Amino acid sequence: MNTGWKTIVRGAAILVVSLAAALPAAARDVPADPLKSVMWADMAERFLAGGDIVFDQRVRVMAPRSAEDQFFVPVTVDATRLPGVTEIVVLADLNPIPKVLAYRPVDAEAFIAFQIKVEQATVVRAAARTADGIWHVGGTHVDAAGGGCSSPAMAHGQANWMATLGQTRARVWRETRDVARMTVRMRHPMDTGLADGIPAFYLSDLEVSNGTGRPLASIDIYEPVSENPTFTLKPRIGADTAELDVEARDTEANEFAYSLPVPDPKVAN
Amino acid sequence: MSSFPGKPRLNYNRRQALGIGLAGCACVVCGSANAATLDYGLKAEEIAPGTFGVFGEREYFTFANGGNIVNTAFIAVPDGVVVVDTGPSKRYGEQLKALIDHTLPGKRILRVYNTHHHPDHFLGNQAFERAAIAAPQKVIDNIEAEGDAFADNMYRLVGDWMRGTAPVSPGTAIDTDGEDVGGRNFTFFRLSGHTSADFAVRDDETGLLFSGDVAFLDRAPTTPHADLARWREAINTLQSADIATVVPGHGPADPAGRSFIQTRDWLDWLDGTLRDAVSRGLTENEAMEIPLPARFAALNVAPGEYRRSVVHFWTRLEDELLPEIEVDRK
Repeated sequence: MNTGWKTIVRGAAILVVSLAAALPAAARDVPADPLKSVMWADMAERFLAGGDIVFDQRVRVMAPRSAEDQFFVPVTVDATRLPGVTEIVVLADLNPIPKVLAYRPVDAEAFIAFQIKVEQATVVRAAARTADGIWHVGGTHVDAAGGGCSSPAMAHGQANWMATLGQTRARVWRETRDVARMTVRMRHPMDTGLADGIPAFYLSDLEVSNGTGRPLASIDIYEPVSENPTFTLKPRIGADTAELDVEARDTEANEFAYSLPVPDPKVAN
Repeated sequence: MSSFPGKPRLNYNRRQALGIGLAGCACVVCGSANAATLDYGLKAEEIAPGTFGVFGEREYFTFANGGNIVNTAFIAVPDGVVVVDTGPSKRYGEQLKALIDHTLPGKRILRVYNTHHHPDHFLGNQAFERAAIAAPQKVIDNIEAEGDAFADNMYRLVGDWMRGTAPVSPGTAIDTDGEDVGGRNFTFFRLSGHTSADFAVRDDETGLLFSGDVAFLDRAPTTPHADLARWREAINTLQSADIATVVPGHGPADPAGRSFIQTRDWLDWLDGTLRDAVSRGLTENEAMEIPLPARFAALNVAPGEYRRSVVHFWTRLEDELLPEIEVDRK
């Protein structure tokens, strides 16, 4: 009997030790995807490093239910109801290149709008990371005809497209006393590298500062962003902010810099 | 328009094939289409002596309606029959032809007009003799350039109803202002604006105008290939013509010219709303949430068509309305 008791104790001890070993200390409990995308677990593992993950309705992803044009699917991410956002990562689960962009609203509202290419119907999601490291995820489903990522850009139908690279149209509005709204539209083919014989070539970085060099916003841009990309951001400004400076760069190390006038608050917009 | 020349003509077939999106039009349901038997349940409605409209649903393309969202028509002329548009599929074309044979037994189809190259208006061409199908050369060119992509997309949107459908371009190019067909004179209006080539036909005997999609009634206009300034001119041209009743591309027959007023009102509102939205810095998604005026509540599928139109016009308007900025290149 004595021996039997010892055996049980020893067995239990081994069991406890084995269980502990089987569970990595840092394992995350990735919640089930309310949009039921088959790629969700993969998206979380590849693109949302560390930190807990929660689905959060305060991260609003606006996109049409059905894409009218798979080369230009408009997306607006509004996480302004979530305090303390340090980064927003945007993903299109079923794109061959899922990561769309990473936005750091250094001194800006957690808000960004842009257009993306989609290769097929997909979930489009935004993960907003707060200062405590938690990813707050929102998303929506977009139906679409196929092929948005693997077809040549329109630019390649024109002989002189290189000559117009980086041409920019842009404007700044004063939205409130402390917040501007800026839209920039830059001419760039945004080649994904997935169209026959056309290597990847895309605008990869865009940074906004306040005119005295203080950074306000920064975007890491990836292949799925649409040709001639348009971004709308909401940097924070003061009454005396007279201009916003933009610096952008592409994967061939072309650099583009420009200044945008901010309307005087007394004659705003 | 300066630095961005709008959407250039595409040179790539694959891109063409893919880039059409939901182009085309929309309406349907009389509840008569039967998706199980693929029977559109087409009905001929006599709208003038010997003139029959086949009115589609005022809907989007769906698996339930099989793409029958469009109006087609046929006219008994002294020596035969004239047909205007052929519907969204081979099956529709065949059923339209059967309806014509049943309604006007023993009469030969002398002429088939295609009003423009959107898929719901010409993909039934297979059922008719190619040489009898006629349209202006530019309509033929558009069908030949984009027909395959339209057909592909229609398979995606309505499924099995499309089985066997392939685009057939008209065999006869129209370059006159009218013609006599089987003892009846028809006047032609070669227009643009809804697409780059729109074609309207008046039967000079009855004064009926088959407007194609230059005019919609009680169904929101579609804009995937629209040029609004030209479209307004096209409406003016038709409005000042001598006509009795309009048979719009979508919606009921219109003896009062209401389709012209309503279509122009929609286009003006759309243009003004989108210009204002871009000028205020709204995002496309924010612009899609702008509520529609109450007067458009009676237009079928208006909210959906408005959201599609935002996409159709947005980048063009950004190129036009956002100021160009001097860029320092390094």
